[in-house]
Amino acid sequence: MSVLWIIVHQLAEIEAMAGSKKVITREEWEKKLKDVKIRKEDMNKLVMNFLVTEGYVDAAEKFRKESGTEPDIDLTTIMDRMAVKKAVQCGNVEDAIEKVNDLNPEILDTNPQLFFHLQQQRLIELIRNGKVEEALEFAQEELAPRGEENQSFLEELERTVALLAFEDVNNCPFGELLDISQRLKTASEVNAAILTSQSHEKDPKLPSLLKMLLWAQNQLDEKAAYPRINNLSIAMLEDPTV
Amino acid sequence: MSTANSNNSTNHHHGDRDLSLWFLEQSRLASARGLTDEDEDSPTELNTINSSGGFIVVSPDKLSAKYTSVNLHGHDVGVVQANKPAPVKRLVYYFEIYVKDAGTKGQISIGFTSESFKMRRQPGWEANSCGYHGDDGLLYRGHGKGEAFGPTYTSGDIVGGGINYDSQEFFFTKNGAVVGTVPKDIKGPLFPTIAVHSQNEEVNVNFGQQPFAFDLKEFEAQERMKQQMSIEKISLPTNVSHQIVRSYLLHYGYEDTLNSFDMASKSTVPPVHIAQENGFDEQDILFALNERKALRQLIRNGEIDSALGKLREWYPQIVQDDKSATCFLLHCQKFIELVRVGALEEAVKYGRMELAKFFGLPLFEDLVQDCVALLAYERPRESSVGYLLEESQREVVADTVNAMILSTNPNLKDSLHGGLHSYLERLLRQLTACCLERRFLSGDQGEVFHLQRVLNSSKKARC
Repeated sequence: MSVLWIIVHQLAEIEAMAGSKKVITREEWEKKLKDVKIRKEDMNKLVMNFLVTEGYVDAAEKFRKESGTEPDIDLTTIMDRMAVKKAVQCGNVEDAIEKVNDLNPEILDTNPQLFFHLQQQRLIELIRNGKVEEALEFAQEELAPRGEENQSFLEELERTVALLAFEDVNNCPFGELLDISQRLKTASEVNAAILTSQSHEKDPKLPSLLKMLLWAQNQLDEKAAYPRINNLSIAMLEDPTV
Repeated sequence: MSTANSNNSTNHHHGDRDLSLWFLEQSRLASARGLTDEDEDSPTELNTINSSGGFIVVSPDKLSAKYTSVNLHGHDVGVVQANKPAPVKRLVYYFEIYVKDAGTKGQISIGFTSESFKMRRQPGWEANSCGYHGDDGLLYRGHGKGEAFGPTYTSGDIVGGGINYDSQEFFFTKNGAVVGTVPKDIKGPLFPTIAVHSQNEEVNVNFGQQPFAFDLKEFEAQERMKQQMSIEKISLPTNVSHQIVRSYLLHYGYEDTLNSFDMASKSTVPPVHIAQENGFDEQDILFALNERKALRQLIRNGEIDSALGKLREWYPQIVQDDKSATCFLLHCQKFIELVRVGALEEAVKYGRMELAKFFGLPLFEDLVQDCVALLAYERPRESSVGYLLEESQREVVADTVNAMILSTNPNLKDSLHGGLHSYLERLLRQLTACCLERRFLSGDQGEVFHLQRVLNSSKKARC
């Protein structure tokens, strides 16, 4: 069996070496790159989309002035969105919930999971601040009823309440809930929900395009050897390895 | 990405002219707007000319076929191809048949055949053809021996045949469900083909004029999703998008935006650290940032005289040749700005003084003509040369000047490419070239990649 496998493997290698792969030289490839038409306007839009989606409201405003690119969303809504995000990042969850409801009450109404995660974050902040009694009361009154509706909420709730059982939370197996990354996770969830409610994509297009570039290069590798860009941050062509 | 324009070998001017000529090209590009999407013909009916006449009768609407004789041997199959080959500039092509009557033997088949297919044989029996047969449920690919594939089909069944160009596979369906797929190893145009081969066998063909039994939209959506999932799984280096946006702002001298962006990046939680690692070096694009920003602002405000003045003061080498492409673009822009504010007499005077000398020079001629044509219209903005009055034209001029200044950087490591393209542009070029090349190596089949479409769609990017 293993001998057969080796033979099959070798055959495959021979086949690959036999030159079924097309080789494209740097010169040929550069000609192809030159023929590609990229419009400045489209790049500007891509940059604007990034600034807007990531919430760089000042930069977006400046970019509008400097490049004449119109943002694909009302810039004032970014400020509101960023205020909510910031509130969660700083642990002011109550404040964040109020702000989201001011913005659009439907966001939390139609998004029970997001609402639960915000409430959970509120509980985490109470525990972090050592407000044990308040935390227990909040868990029982606000979170437990929701847990009854949904099994995964219940498990999340149990994990969170377990934080109370440990005097030194560093020893608690669920200690990561107190980590800053949990706040960021919740914050980006709210951020995405607000963007979706504004019929805007929740992620900027640029990272998707970069991923697509890496994917497209991998796909093309199967059929051809050509100059690749291996390091996105310097965008330099590297000669094909034949 | 060579900056050197190939038709410049006859050009006696110094190298930096090549760079601004490239921008001249760009300004032409800007005038040709929108996607030119070539529509492809699709099959609409059966081809009654090239069918195995004598054995079958095709209905007057050319959408059904019936076997009217008694079959005697393997060479009297009633085969009909569609009137057009399956279109290829898409993710999937698909058509269906409805078996109205399975006749005496039910020897019906559906498949794809090449143009040179020998009529009177079942699709799949001959080279360069593929067919799913009703009487045995076997799949035939290029010879008389079938392979196990799916269920048999008979009267009342709806059977479909499709080509998935992305995976390069044929697939077949029965009553709305996929039966199976096989690799598509046939090159060139493929015609949807049906065959009947026993008395009274009759099938109706649906090239999409009726709703399909099979949910094609859903199938396509799932195929796209599969690809999207594998793209999303790829991980990017931390903050690489930030880095690319930042280098873009630097490259084009959008300094105010850059400062705001940097400020905000520092105060986010967690702060974004734009690392100088990975060989990322912004020295090249930091060059003369203030000057580039100032000139961009002047040009964007339409203050061309001031821009020219500053250029003469700061970078005389760029504007010393008054017949260079950079000067040409600036003079044109000055002319355009005069037209914009309605100072037509002054525009005429300026044109005679500064633009006339460019008449008859093949590289400049069409832009000069477009500029002058602005004078002919009462409302030039709505005319065919109205693009000149748009912001994008100012941007082209500003980008040219920006690139020219970058190219004067004595420390420029990559003098060929440094000034011309931002990192973002290089990446987008590479992306487009990869997608186009991949499609080319798949026999020019599948959806054509359009960056603009990806950017404008609210849906996810797709190659």
